[in-house]
Amino acid sequence: MNLERLPNEEKLSLCRKYYLGGFAFLPFLWLVNVVWFFREAFLKPSYTEQLQIKAYVKRSALGLLLWVAVLTTWITIYQHFRAEWGEVGDYLSFTIPLGIP
Amino acid sequence: CLRALNGQPPAAPTPRVVEREEEEEDEELTLKYGAKHVIMLFVPVTLCMVVVVATIKSVSFYTQNDGQRLIYTPFPEDTDTVGQRALNSILNATIMITVIIVMTLVLVMLYKYRCYKVIQGWLFLSSLLLLFFFSYIYLKEVFKTYNLAMDYITLAIIIWNFGVVGMMCIHWKGPLRLQQAYLIMISALMALVFIKYLPEWTAWLILAVISVYDLLAVLCPKGPLRILVETAQERNEPIFPALIYSSTMVWLVNMADTDRPNRNSTEAASPQQEPQEVASPVPSSPSQDDGGFTQSWVSQQEHRLGPLQSTEETRREIQQMPSARPPVEEDDEERGVKLGLGDFIFYSMLVGKASATASGDWNTTLACFVAILIGLCLTLLLLAIFKKALPALPISIFFGLVFYFATDNLVRPFMDKLALHQFYI
Repeated sequence: MNLERLPNEEKLSLCRKYYLGGFAFLPFLWLVNVVWFFREAFLKPSYTEQLQIKAYVKRSALGLLLWVAVLTTWITIYQHFRAEWGEVGDYLSFTIPLGIP
Repeated sequence: CLRALNGQPPAAPTPRVVEREEEEEDEELTLKYGAKHVIMLFVPVTLCMVVVVATIKSVSFYTQNDGQRLIYTPFPEDTDTVGQRALNSILNATIMITVIIVMTLVLVMLYKYRCYKVIQGWLFLSSLLLLFFFSYIYLKEVFKTYNLAMDYITLAIIIWNFGVVGMMCIHWKGPLRLQQAYLIMISALMALVFIKYLPEWTAWLILAVISVYDLLAVLCPKGPLRILVETAQERNEPIFPALIYSSTMVWLVNMADTDRPNRNSTEAASPQQEPQEVASPVPSSPSQDDGGFTQSWVSQQEHRLGPLQSTEETRREIQQMPSARPPVEEDDEERGVKLGLGDFIFYSMLVGKASATASGDWNTTLACFVAILIGLCLTLLLLAIFKKALPALPISIFFGLVFYFATDNLVRPFMDKLALHQFYI
């Protein structure tokens, strides 16, 4: 899909859909949105829809940062305290490393 | 199957001399762009192979013999006598090929009787299974190999994101690079599954037989793929976007239709009668041919690969993942070449198997890799010359097999002997 060839309304619509989709626990979608539309939103000479696209990209970036923060915190907590949590830790674990923690 | 999207000059009445000149020029352009597209296909094929080989080397799961087999290959290969083993592998290969042929015929029938919804649903399910289930297993094995802890919550988020974005990129709209990356990843996953669940001799036999089948199905007048293409041409519609990797986004020329993106999504979504997006009015235009061939090819591939079954029913469906068909572009710059994902899968399977089971190790792996690339080059050259859909498997697989067995049995002992005697050449 080449963004160059799309008319502006389509770009806006696509950006919007990606933005809305990200709310379904899909930070990756927001990441894709930001990276893909970055040039469109910030580095291109302005056109009518650009303002809205910019807004969507910014909000996606915000949401992405939030998710990254939450996930990093959780992963750190998990990795650090997994052994100490005993049963709960094992229950949460998908793979349990061998050996002594 | 390989398809070049070359814009051929429309069949207009021009003086013969001018026409010929145009043709020559076109030829030249074709060959020039052909070279460019060879390189463009090298990268993804190489990437896929690298991923497969890297996984095989590091994650032992894919080389372990769990004793589990696919339903399609019921005969075990760890038998007492060589003769028994040979017989079993031949039987396995026969069963597999029969299943593939049947699946291909089913697909052609479905297409002929316009059961598009069935086909689409099938493809959708396959890609779903592949993107979620197989990647889940893959991640599990990778984590086990590197002895990392992972909790269900993070895992769920990862798999969910990977899967959904993958589905969107492949079946709907997404950045081209991401789509290509996903196609490479699913090809690699599929190849890994094959490498794990097909016993040795069976695997080599299947590779050989499939190349032959490919050749027949695509080139013979009665071949199912050919029928598929011709039907598509008669109906003047592109075949559903199945597993096809395209080197660039190519756009079809259609003066009246300004709704490009829609078409992209509709193409991905349904093989419907869309307003004809053909670069030229000639029904045998490359774009249509492409569509027809590659897809049928691909679907065939799917079938081929598809019918694997141990626990996962829909492996075949996996193959039938539609990829968004890139519309063909007007100017010459972006003519693309398309390669069916099945080709990716089999190439990677060959190299992966070589790295997993060869005694010559890296020598053999590299030799197979080079062989496949050479085969691909030749195929693309033929494509530039003949300008019609060609089977991409036979030449590469043939070279690959020859190189594998030759290197493993001849070159490696030779090198070992030389090293042993400290004799450097």
